[in-house]
Amino acid sequence: MDELRARFERDAPPLMPSLYAAALRLTRNPADAEDLVQETYLRAYRGFGGFQEGTNLKAWMYRILTNTFINSYRKKQREPQTISGDDADEWFLYDRMGGADGAEPSAEASALEKVPDEDVQAALDSLPEQFRMAVWLADVDGFSYKEIAEILDIPIGTVMSRLHRGRRALEKALWETVRERGLVRD
Amino acid sequence: MSETDCQEILAQIELYLDHELEEVRCVEIQEHLELCGPCTDRAEFRRSLKVLISKKCRCEDVPEGLMSRVFAVLDEPGNAAPPPGA
Repeated sequence: MDELRARFERDAPPLMPSLYAAALRLTRNPADAEDLVQETYLRAYRGFGGFQEGTNLKAWMYRILTNTFINSYRKKQREPQTISGDDADEWFLYDRMGGADGAEPSAEASALEKVPDEDVQAALDSLPEQFRMAVWLADVDGFSYKEIAEILDIPIGTVMSRLHRGRRALEKALWETVRERGLVRD
Repeated sequence: MSETDCQEILAQIELYLDHELEEVRCVEIQEHLELCGPCTDRAEFRRSLKVLISKKCRCEDVPEGLMSRVFAVLDEPGNAAPPPGA
């Protein structure tokens, strides 16, 4: 076994859980997510000679994952890439969950804690892909704005605006969820 | 605490929570938060949302056998090895 293959077999497998989870959020479908991960690993392996050891392999593979997704899967999804919202919505969820009434901040958070995982995921899935991915990369995987800019191949200013607007849209989606679940008084 | 202060702080709270601000500005925001209850409530709310998203969206078990399928494909003819010097 050559050295490159050995290195790939050592470094790439530990990334699979987070790449699979990201693939699932992108494709919203387990079968497509598996295919996407498969394709990502194949492309990564073929290009591994060009990967600089010591740099961020996770970000590098995420970039392959998102590019593969954009080129192969997004075409069939065709979804609107806009979300509504304006500055007045900045504290939409906070205000509605009682923050403005001086309730304990932890009380609002604990109402959200009760939302089942699937519902939070569904709320995230309801965002258009480019916003969904920015929020995912920042909040679930903890990438910096600079890393997200590199992964998605967009300027940092665009990362900031997608994150900002994506999070506000997510808060609205979560509000719908807690209301439907009866976790808050309306 | 003037309202302008609070507006400026809250406009940057997301950057602050994402650790994307310069150290100097972080300290200023921390100092403001220590003295300002309403801003602290909002900051804590946003922080808890970040944690919530991270916690509730993270766990996805990799399907059984995916790892071995992925590596089996690498061994197929034509996928054998990265081109030398690529």
